[in-house]
Amino acid sequence: MIEINHLYKEYGKDVQALNDINLVIDRGEFVFIVGTSGAGKSTLLRMMIRESLPTKGSIKIFGRDITRLKNREVPYLRRNIGVVFQDFRLLNDRNVYENVAFTLRVIGSPTKEIRKRVPHALELVRLKDKAYKKPDQLSGGEQQRVCVARALVNRPAVLLADEPTGNLDPGTSMEIMNLLHDINIRGATVIVATHAKEVVDHFQKRVVVLEDGRLISDQERGVYFNAH
Amino acid sequence: MHIRSLLYFLGEALKSIVRNGWMSIASTGVVAITLLILGSFMVLSVNVNLVTQDIKEQVQIALYIDESADEETRAELERMLIRHPQLEQVRFVSKEDALTRLKQQLGDRAYLLEGYEDLDNPLRDSYELRTIIPEDISDVAREVSNYPGVGYLDYGSQVVDPLFQFTGLLRWIGLVFMAGLAVTAIFLIAHTIRLTVYIRRKEIMIMKYVGATDWFIRWPFIFEGLILGLSGAVIPIIILFYSYQVADVWMQSNIVFIALIPPHEIINEMVKILIPLGIALGVLGSFISVRRFLKV
Ligand SMILES: Nc1ncnc2c1ncn2[C@@H]1O[C@H](COP(=O)(O)OP(=O)(O)OP(=O)(O)O)[C@@H](O)[C@H]1O
Ligand SMILES: [Mg+2]
Repeated sequence: MIEINHLYKEYGKDVQALNDINLVIDRGEFVFIVGTSGAGKSTLLRMMIRESLPTKGSIKIFGRDITRLKNREVPYLRRNIGVVFQDFRLLNDRNVYENVAFTLRVIGSPTKEIRKRVPHALELVRLKDKAYKKPDQLSGGEQQRVCVARALVNRPAVLLADEPTGNLDPGTSMEIMNLLHDINIRGATVIVATHAKEVVDHFQKRVVVLEDGRLISDQERGVYFNAH
Repeated sequence: MHIRSLLYFLGEALKSIVRNGWMSIASTGVVAITLLILGSFMVLSVNVNLVTQDIKEQVQIALYIDESADEETRAELERMLIRHPQLEQVRFVSKEDALTRLKQQLGDRAYLLEGYEDLDNPLRDSYELRTIIPEDISDVAREVSNYPGVGYLDYGSQVVDPLFQFTGLLRWIGLVFMAGLAVTAIFLIAHTIRLTVYIRRKEIMIMKYVGATDWFIRWPFIFEGLILGLSGAVIPIIILFYSYQVADVWMQSNIVFIALIPPHEIINEMVKILIPLGIALGVLGSFISVRRFLKV
């Protein structure tokens, strides 16, 4: 489903953010991407949604090399990939329901569809009773659950999460990760970049380790890798 | 465009306009002032044109032939006049014709001219010349005066020259003034839209992540400019309509002999010109900002 070949990304002359990455991720997998700060995790995820182009190499998603997409095709790629960020990025002037509905509204979904899918997504993240609260009336964990609902309301085949628990305490982190795991079990391919060692060790999933832009380890049922 | 999307864009645009408050009012205000001045100019000029049209249609050059010119020179003069590209009409009026015409004008008193026929005719052979463009008349007259066999010219230069200079000057001042205001209007709208782009930067970012198309992101901003420009056009139309009606009534009761163009005709013209212009100013302004500040 995702096939990355000889991927390089340079920022200017000196920064080798990604250095010859090769990676294949199958449909329905759950993958952790770990590594020290500056290892290139976010850069790799950014390439997958065509936020920026690689210097060299190819990324095949759903059978197409997305580095060759025309600019006007990029939105349609992104409709199939949900994203969750460390800093939530919710719209504070709208309630939970509207934040989730936003995804569907801006891709022009029919109102009927929105009325059906938004409550369903909120139920999945167990936030149905908070639908009419504003984001600043919610806890950090709840806010992140809204983000997850927003990312999956359009039923993307792939869900990318960049340090989704970076701003959360360990207990809440585990709760969010369980949620992502549920979503994976329901069929989505989930890729999570994270620092949270105890979470990674707990789930015993595939772990890909980056260091200085290189892929140095890729293990099924791996644990958090610490080279130093 | 789908009706649902259209409503969404309109809603977002209206929300922004309300949120930007004074900036929106300023933008609309400048568009309104620009178009009010333009509209006033148009109202004035179509009415002045109505009056000057009569004058213009009457302006012609009377070219009197030098009596001492021989047949050959006369023939050469006629050939040169006919070939002149700026002349629309070259009509020969013999002195006999001129006398007949004068007699007709005198009517009952034509007997005064008795005895002037034939060799004693005091009038001269002449040409009546009309230029294609009335304003060219002075230039053409100057040129033609050097032709062979020309006695003298008469084209009412004292009246015609200042009139044309005045209307020409008026048009230029108007154009320059309006261009300045139009640029200001576009700039202000662009600035307002830029403010909106800034306020909505987070929304725009999320829209991009969830797969909104570039045009879906751009449209609300274009609509915002469009609405600002359109409101700026409607205001002067309303003002002009009412003030013109007042002027019309006043003119009819005070200056009976000048008929203004009827108000509804004027307003039809205004709507046809000012509305598209207002929309154009608004859309142009927002386009500039969207191109410069909306990185999609
Ligand atoms: N836009 C950019 N311009 C220049 N350099 C960049 C840019 N984005 C990332 N980098 C550099 O690329 C390298 C990889 O950054 P990246 O954000 O991918 O690391 P990361 O693994 O996500 O780190 P963290 O765990 O802190 O989020 C770093 O050295 C970073 O400084
Ligand atoms: Mg990162």
